[in-house]
Amino acid sequence: MSDESKSCATPSNAEPTATRSTVPMWIFSATLVLIYLGTVYFDHHSGWFSAKVYSPYANVDELELYQPKSGAAAQLARGKQVYEQVCGLCHGVDGLGKPGQAPPLAESEFVTAKGITRLTHIPLLGVTGSIKVQGKDWNMAMAAMGAGLSDSDLASVLTYIRTSWGNHAEVVDADAVKAVRATIKSSAPMNGDQLMKMPE
Amino acid sequence: MKNGFTVFIAALVVLGASWTAFVLGAAVQLGHEKNTTVLNSSDVYPLQRAGDAAFGLDVYRANACAACHTEQVQQSGMACDVVLTSAGKNPTAVSNLVATLKLIGIPEVEADAAADKITALGGKVETRILATGGDIARGWGIRHSVAADYLYDYPVQLGSLRVGPDLAAIGVRLANANVLLQHLYAPKSVTPNSAMPPFKFLFEVRPIGATPSPDALNLPKEFAPASGYEVVPKPEAKQLVGYLLSLRADVPLFEAPFTPPTPATNAPATK
Amino acid sequence: MNVNEKSNGDCVSPSQIDASCRVPSLALFGGAALWLVVGLALALIASIKFHQPAFLADCSLLTYGHVQAAANDLILYGFAIPAALGVLLWIFARLSQAELVLPLVPVVAAHIWHVGVLLGTIGILTGNSTGFAWLEYPRLVFPLLLVAFILIAISAVATFGQRKERELYPSHWFLLAALLWFPWIYSTANIFLVVWPVRGVGQAVINWWFVNNLLFVWLALVGLGVAFYFLPKLGGKPLHSRFWAQFAFWTLTLFGTFLGIPQGAPVPAWYPAASALASSLLIIPLIAIAIIFVKTVCGANVSCKGGPFCYIKFGTVAFLLSGLMTIAVSCPHFSQITRFTWFETAQTQLQLFGFFAIVILGGAYEILPRVMGSPLPFPKFIRFQHWCFMLGTLLLVGSLAVSGIQQGLHDYSFDLALPALRISTLGLFFLLLGSLMFAANIFVMTIKWNLALGKTVLAAVIAPLKTAEVKS
Repeated sequence: MSDESKSCATPSNAEPTATRSTVPMWIFSATLVLIYLGTVYFDHHSGWFSAKVYSPYANVDELELYQPKSGAAAQLARGKQVYEQVCGLCHGVDGLGKPGQAPPLAESEFVTAKGITRLTHIPLLGVTGSIKVQGKDWNMAMAAMGAGLSDSDLASVLTYIRTSWGNHAEVVDADAVKAVRATIKSSAPMNGDQLMKMPE
Repeated sequence: MKNGFTVFIAALVVLGASWTAFVLGAAVQLGHEKNTTVLNSSDVYPLQRAGDAAFGLDVYRANACAACHTEQVQQSGMACDVVLTSAGKNPTAVSNLVATLKLIGIPEVEADAAADKITALGGKVETRILATGGDIARGWGIRHSVAADYLYDYPVQLGSLRVGPDLAAIGVRLANANVLLQHLYAPKSVTPNSAMPPFKFLFEVRPIGATPSPDALNLPKEFAPASGYEVVPKPEAKQLVGYLLSLRADVPLFEAPFTPPTPATNAPATK
Repeated sequence: MNVNEKSNGDCVSPSQIDASCRVPSLALFGGAALWLVVGLALALIASIKFHQPAFLADCSLLTYGHVQAAANDLILYGFAIPAALGVLLWIFARLSQAELVLPLVPVVAAHIWHVGVLLGTIGILTGNSTGFAWLEYPRLVFPLLLVAFILIAISAVATFGQRKERELYPSHWFLLAALLWFPWIYSTANIFLVVWPVRGVGQAVINWWFVNNLLFVWLALVGLGVAFYFLPKLGGKPLHSRFWAQFAFWTLTLFGTFLGIPQGAPVPAWYPAASALASSLLIIPLIAIAIIFVKTVCGANVSCKGGPFCYIKFGTVAFLLSGLMTIAVSCPHFSQITRFTWFETAQTQLQLFGFFAIVILGGAYEILPRVMGSPLPFPKFIRFQHWCFMLGTLLLVGSLAVSGIQQGLHDYSFDLALPALRISTLGLFFLLLGSLMFAANIFVMTIKWNLALGKTVLAAVIAPLKTAEVKS
């Protein structure tokens, strides 16, 4: 039934064939150009595989540029940073203090007081001797940890501890810290009685 | 293409490339995502959904709500508003300067420059970061959705078609369980031109007993059942509403920064 | 099977090859035709809900989300994949010039597959879907479909191994890659999403990858493999050319597989950026396929008269359009309008009906009379169905695209999208009408064949009795 040697198919039943025309150079060149342009696009928009960069941010630098830097949120951010460097070692990053060494700041009456005079004196001068915190006696030897901080950094730290760990006291601004600092004459550490004699 | 084995290996490599990137890459990078903290706070985000909200996710899946609703907010850009918080000691000079500057909806670099000019004159400013885009203008969210918003969900139901509105922040926008329940029972009683089908099978219409049920819906007349009957949500309806209320996505994160209008709260999973 | 045709020594005649595919074809096409009709009927119900949201809403089985998902999956898993495998088996047997190896394996597999689809559909309607798009079938369906597919692939590859011509024909690459790629993506998606799910939004990335690789890449591989077989065969001109096809194959698999992560998705920026990069490169394989199509079809002095050649030509053009729509929706600027709208649905429907269903149905109409060894019972239906499908696809895709753009430009307003959506119901109606014609042809053929088979068996049973009686 078939004259062909290779196949028994009749012409109407023949399997399709393909020509051997080559693919022209222009399409390879077009592919390469597109790949180049696409890579440039990817470079500008991918954040280079960072898990934190989402569109519309192009990269980590741009994302950092848009982190809130001023106002209450930024003050808190700065306060947290300074607190963890300067205060966190003894008072704990959770604000719960260390038994026998540093009293808790969470819900401490010194921290959440209405005014900031007493509170500001503590880091500026340090505390020595006995002091009563939340009805418990502490024997203190705290150095003047905050004396070297700028007014705005100290205000940030105070704001942070007054609004964290369940504390809800008012924020502190740099001018208030400056005013308190201006009233300080000596550099001797305070004791509990001296602190309690001050206005809040 | 004569050497079958070479072709087979090449095909494996070519097909496997996208598998490596999008399956392996996603499983390693996103599958090992951990919870994070809210920007400028020590609050953990996200919290796992609990109670009704956790069961409600499954009611959402079983009824295929994602066929018509998305749960993802798109953000097309970002901008800064420079807000004068104190005019300082030289208010006239500062207010004259402020009058000449563009302070709303500007890029960060311009905001920085403007803030520097104002502080040089003794004024104090706060630069507020805002997310912008159609969804945010429509009030469907406050920032773009990120992986952390879905960390504990299974299945993650982002949706792909908006027949109805986006629900990523429905718990902020419509924080009223009774309205949501009524909307499920009779959508047109809340939104007159709603295209949503009523989900009456999530409710029970029953004769009012000795004491009316405290859960009974307070429906307008034309949607209310016959007198002597009350409409009471089944547990599924309550769970679904619990889940909807838990959809908030309203806290700033490092990867989605913005200045919150009120102090940031961390309440993704509580009523 | 004419005994005369077997006379040519080692050579197997085409009619013998065709006959070896008879039972597998009937099993695969028969179920596919049924599911296509049921799927389109469900899609029609879902569409009617746009006119009347309360339509069937009080029945929890038939809510919009259930019906829509069941319809989508029936059309893809119920119709498209098994029908495509039926065409693939025949093409492999023909290209190898050998009878189908293990012809009973695909028959068993087809039944497993169709049972899986039935269970999956029941699962979706009763609220047991997995919640992942295009992967809604509950987990017990996963092993059924996977095993069934692998069984059919074994038969196909074994037949491929019988080939006498060592050099591969271009269709071979596309179809072999498809046989490899489906088990890969389907098992990956099920394992990472259903069996041992990954955490958080990684699920969404894997789901998008799966949907793109099934709906775009897999359908493209099979549909183009079939088109590149039938275009030269029916047009009477050789394919232009082996190297162009090779170029299209490699660029399509390399670039196409990276598509699918939508712009603005809540995942780190590199996922959508990679998809946008790949989508712009997709233009290269589309150009190559367009050139292959034009140079193979133009000058072929064959008038298609609404027959299979028309089906395949229309389908290939629809693929090119669907590819362009895919590029459009992945482009960062245009996607701001089309994202979350019916425009994306329109692209999927064009790919599924305009391209894939039409190419596969054209192939099936070409194959059926050959494997059955008798003409179709309703040959006029081929032409009618072609018109129904062309009209239905154009109405469906056009109206969805228009309503999608309306939605995107007007804050996702449903009211403005509604007029165009109403037309899409009409499109689905025409598609359903066409699918009924295919079902009528295949079911009448199956019944006739069963009757004939019954007669033969009866005769075979009765015959020895008679001789026995005579002897006694």
